[in-house]
Amino acid sequence: MSNPMRSGEVTEVRLDPPAGGRDGTAVPASARRSRVHPYRQPFTWWLRSRGYLLYVVRELTAVPIALWFVLFLVELARLGQGSGGYHPFTSPVFVAASVVCLAAALWHSFTFLNLAGLIMRIPRGDRDLNPRVIVGAAFGGFLAISVVVAGLLIWAGA
Amino acid sequence: MTAHADDTAAGEARYAPRPGPNRLQGLLWVAFANAAVLIALIAPAHILVQGVLAPLGLVPSFDRRYATFAAGIGNPLVKIYLLVVIAASFYLAGHRVRYVVHELGVHGKLAVGTVCYGLAVLGVAVAAYLLLTLP
Repeated sequence: MSNPMRSGEVTEVRLDPPAGGRDGTAVPASARRSRVHPYRQPFTWWLRSRGYLLYVVRELTAVPIALWFVLFLVELARLGQGSGGYHPFTSPVFVAASVVCLAAALWHSFTFLNLAGLIMRIPRGDRDLNPRVIVGAAFGGFLAISVVVAGLLIWAGA
Repeated sequence: MTAHADDTAAGEARYAPRPGPNRLQGLLWVAFANAAVLIALIAPAHILVQGVLAPLGLVPSFDRRYATFAAGIGNPLVKIYLLVVIAASFYLAGHRVRYVVHELGVHGKLAVGTVCYGLAVLGVAVAAYLLLTLP
């Protein structure tokens, strides 16, 4: 610990120029700034391990979900063309894209609802509720809500 | 030169944490948590029915025909529900992309945040306009 340069992950090299020039004139503020060169992760850090890769994939699941709702907005905009001009997406490309978006949505649901047991603390007497019960309730709620939403979407189209 | 502005001592001073809670960050993360839970519970059912099963003809869905779609969108509760779900999905994407971009080495916090949250706000504005003016 005697050498602070070895104690952390960030390696800093400071180059502090003197406050004044050799001839005694003031040096501009921009030139007086000391520079720090912190360690930078290589761009491909997330390819180093399976855990990192799954983490980035989990974070990016939100993108296909949002893109699917953009497609829904396109359908919604077509509604303005009237009964004669309206046509929903039916192509195999749309179905294939939806399958990818569904996989992303399910991965987001699985990972985020699993977190519930980690981050929620529900006091029960002198102990907290078992995290497995919380996760079980979250997935039970997910199934129940999915059935209700899917049922309403189908019922409204029947 | 400006690319390394954050590495300077002045940059360190500018981004030094202020005392007390950062309320804006707190609000952004609370909104993220709520959006993430909502999307986790609701989005898969929408995508499964409207994106896969109904286009394949396996089940009906309210957006397959003009009459049922217009009738559904005509309900104010459906408008509010869809606006909340769409807003949650756009905000979730904006927030997560903001942090992934940062972790991949792009450190322009303000610029990245402006683009990510700006796109989300733009999407919500378009959704609100469509839902409030249709059918």
